Amino acid sequence: MTDIRPLLAILVSAVAIPLILALRSRPNLREGVTLVVALAKFAIVASLVPGVLEGEEYVFSFGEFAAGIEFAFRADALGVLFASLASLLWIVTSLYSIGYMRGLDEHAQTRYFASFAASLATVMGVAFASNLLTLFVFYELLTVATYPLVTHDETDEARAAGRKYLAYTFGGGIAVLGGTALVFWLTGGLAGGTTSFAHGGIDGLATADPLWARAAFVLLAGGFGVKAGLMPVHSWLPDAMVAPTPVSGLLHAVAVVKSGVFGVARVVLDVYGTDGVAEIGMGLPLAAIAAFTLVAASIIALRQDNLKRRLAFSTVSQLSYIVLGLALLEGNALIGGLLHIPAHAFMKLTLFFCAGAIHVETHTDDISDMAGIGRRMPLTMAAFAVAAAGMAGIPLVAGFVSKWYLVIGALEGEYLLFAAALLVSGVLNIAYFWPIVYQAFFESPEGHDEKPLVSGPLGGRFASGDDSPARTDGGVEEGDDTDEEIPDPNHVDHLGKFHEDHEHHGGPPEGGWDERGWRGGESTWFMLGPIMATATGSLLLGIVPSTAVFLQIVTRVVENLPGVVL
Amino acid sequence: MIEHAPVLLVVVPIVAASLPIVASIVTDRAGWPIAVLGLAVHTGLAGWLLVHVHTEGVVSTVLAGFEAPYGIELYVDGLSAVVVALVGVTSFGLLAYARKAQPRSNAFYAQYLLLVAGLTGMTVTGDVFNLYVFLEITGLAAYGLVATGRKGSSAVAALKYLLLGTIGASLYLLGVGYLLAATGTLNMEDLAEKIPEMAGYDSTLIVTAFGLIVGGLAVKVALFPVHTWQPDAYSRSPDTVSALISALVSTVSAYALARLLLSVFTVEFLTEVQLAQWGLLAVASISIVAGSALAVSQSDVQRMLAYSSVSQFGLVVAGFAIATPLAVVGATVHLIGHAIMKGGLFAATGIVRRKTGATTVSEYAGLGSRVPLGAGGFAVLAVAMVGVPPAVGFVGKWYIVIGAVEAEIWPVVAVVLASTLLTLAYFARLIERLYFAEGEPIETATESEQPLADGSGEVSFGMKAVVVAAAVLTVALAAAVPIYEPTLTETLPQLL
Repeated sequence: MTDIRPLLAILVSAVAIPLILALRSRPNLREGVTLVVALAKFAIVASLVPGVLEGEEYVFSFGEFAAGIEFAFRADALGVLFASLASLLWIVTSLYSIGYMRGLDEHAQTRYFASFAASLATVMGVAFASNLLTLFVFYELLTVATYPLVTHDETDEARAAGRKYLAYTFGGGIAVLGGTALVFWLTGGLAGGTTSFAHGGIDGLATADPLWARAAFVLLAGGFGVKAGLMPVHSWLPDAMVAPTPVSGLLHAVAVVKSGVFGVARVVLDVYGTDGVAEIGMGLPLAAIAAFTLVAASIIALRQDNLKRRLAFSTVSQLSYIVLGLALLEGNALIGGLLHIPAHAFMKLTLFFCAGAIHVETHTDDISDMAGIGRRMPLTMAAFAVAAAGMAGIPLVAGFVSKWYLVIGALEGEYLLFAAALLVSGVLNIAYFWPIVYQAFFESPEGHDEKPLVSGPLGGRFASGDDSPARTDGGVEEGDDTDEEIPDPNHVDHLGKFHEDHEHHGGPPEGGWDERGWRGGESTWFMLGPIMATATGSLLLGIVPSTAVFLQIVTRVVENLPGVVL
Repeated sequence: MIEHAPVLLVVVPIVAASLPIVASIVTDRAGWPIAVLGLAVHTGLAGWLLVHVHTEGVVSTVLAGFEAPYGIELYVDGLSAVVVALVGVTSFGLLAYARKAQPRSNAFYAQYLLLVAGLTGMTVTGDVFNLYVFLEITGLAAYGLVATGRKGSSAVAALKYLLLGTIGASLYLLGVGYLLAATGTLNMEDLAEKIPEMAGYDSTLIVTAFGLIVGGLAVKVALFPVHTWQPDAYSRSPDTVSALISALVSTVSAYALARLLLSVFTVEFLTEVQLAQWGLLAVASISIVAGSALAVSQSDVQRMLAYSSVSQFGLVVAGFAIATPLAVVGATVHLIGHAIMKGGLFAATGIVRRKTGATTVSEYAGLGSRVPLGAGGFAVLAVAMVGVPPAVGFVGKWYIVIGAVEAEIWPVVAVVLASTLLTLAYFARLIERLYFAEGEPIETATESEQPLADGSGEVSFGMKAVVVAAAVLTVALAAAVPIYEPTLTETLPQLL
């Protein structure tokens, strides 16, 4: 039925942009606007949830936009899933941003908050778009709105990261546009062509020439895959970690990357449909790419010393859980993949918030400097532990529920290799998160173990303990430099660049970390509150996933799909 | 009543162009008010004509009752009406910019009005030789306007423009001559019928005529590789002139190319002589790529914008060459949209230069905070030009892509899609410089680079209004496209 609420959800923060810009000189009022708008947006989206759970869909159309395609919105279960997640988490991120930006006394805060409002408006547009062209419009606007946030620092690395971001995401956008044009042409072009989403796939595509249908699928999935962090077009994400941590958290773990995954979900479920994807035989290749990304990104994460960079590769890996679930085309796998969207969001946001709090309070960015930090920031590291456990798939935290569905789905479809990849990834998750937690609580700055995976050179050291590299004839190089080309990971910043002369700030002060106790003395409640909130959310999703409404929405999405058996 | 509108549209600016010269007996400052009056009437007439074509269809006027093939006929359909409206609105709007930015000399405004007359004449005419006459009038006025810059380099740029422009116009005239030899008529509608009857599409005479006409107009449109007059002309002329010429002169020349292609040679010619279509598409595609590549390597911002035009007109010509209804709509939308965006961009660079003296990409660093309106307008227009929806720059591209997909011309699809990234390459670094880089003090401009007008260094309200209006229009026009689409497809019968 026609309802203006999808449009309102977008407009409420778009309207806030000039307000925020005008309140440049009144920071408290300006932050107040952000919070009010975030709450309003969540209220609007939440009001759509009950109807959507009953099977209702809310439509709003502006009429024809270009070549017979409408500029229209439709709030269905999948859209509401994404929109409610993003708007809910924007509230906590705004609170966190206040603490973070003021804690660091950052410049250009007005531009920051205005860009955030713009980004969330475009995210709502992506979620509620009713056809590929409308989705494309907001997808591109999302890139434009988030660019100032990536380049916020205005340093050389920030600018380089921004350029890479633009190149990759606009490149992906071109592929999406090409795919959209092909879909329009395949479904009839001017004579009845459409790009509107239809549960179970667009009718015209089922009868189209399979070669072109495959080409369009590759373009669409590849284009959306750039933002979804599929390898090999994922490398903008680790570099984008140069942005302030709330940006890395909400945008590059929740909004931007999830919009890429959302695009893939729309393509698989509502453009081709699960039957359509199976017919053109694109399910298995997509699943293979996702499984490869899963494992490869986890392995790369093992070697990262910069915490945010490690989290970035973890994000790349976890996003492929979702894509894998979608590509397996089977009921439980779909539920697992879609449920991982909110599950991963809560957990990853917690992890990023913790990283940001550590940065603000102690200026520490590298894991090798974080031994014993549990003394200084106990609540933060406890939340980190909970979220990390969820990432690995340990029960009682959100990640377990989605992973359970995923593995069951993979086994039901007899994809043993993918089930194995999921389980291996779980082990790797433990491998790169557990040392952080362990050293925080059970080690101290003076007496902590070395991390050979991080600090060792690639290929291993010479067994005899001698540092010189081996020669093939069994001899030893004389007077040769050892590992000068391979930079000491301790001196690599979040972009992976080597700074020999870079002043190595961070790490424990003289005399070790001071104890702050468990009552919140470690940081401001602007940051601790959101950390606790998202960690609690992760626990809730893990303990009572149905009551924490997201599982219900996901089940409704999958039930809406004709041809999928639960 | 309406039949008089096309004639008046040409006559009013011509008469108005003579008035400042007459008035210079009394005063030297009568130019601007006379131009405002004349162009206001002109814009009103153009708007009326557009509405009439939208609601009632084609308007055709025979001059002095002499019928074709001996007389001159004026013919206004959906394509011409919107271009005339563009000419009217842009030239009128830029007067707000010119008030402070230009010397208020009578001669300047006389040339301004003459340019508008020439452009309008090119647009409304239905006769190929008449088009040549107005093409030359436009050219002469443009050469003169470019030369009004006070620097020596302006004169050199104007001379270069004159030489190349005359060669282009002469090639066009030669092509027209061959057409006359083949068919005995100069009227466009008549030619469309007579070419297949009397000479056949694939006869050497006709194909040669096509090549000459396209070659001549390509010089005026500034496609690669005959674009070389454009960077100098745009960067060395005064800011108002750059905005005016970049928005209108190449635009109307591209319109002329489309008119000849679609209404004289027609789509059948393109289907029969495949070489012609592929040749045109190849030239257009190379322009798209080469223009962007050259733009990326520029350090002067206005030169960069000139090379950007080379690239964007490649897109437009590609759309016209594909010649399906959707592609033609897309090419027209992009033609109009580009005119607004490019004019606005030049206006914004003018504001930036007056306030800070910055002309090169590196000097633009950090100006986002010093010139908020100029930089903001520039950023919005640049993003629109890249093709970010929902601005008009995207809509044109989308139609062209769909048209190319329908016609199954895959190389062009790839090039048009890639043009987004290519355009991004040169605009992104400017936007990045403006907002995310540290500014350094700009070396003081030498005497020859001082601003030219009386209110030197000052940025008037009119100048800012023009930039804001351009930015607003780029988004607003996108909404008007679905309304305009039927006007075009219904009045260009050759496409149905």
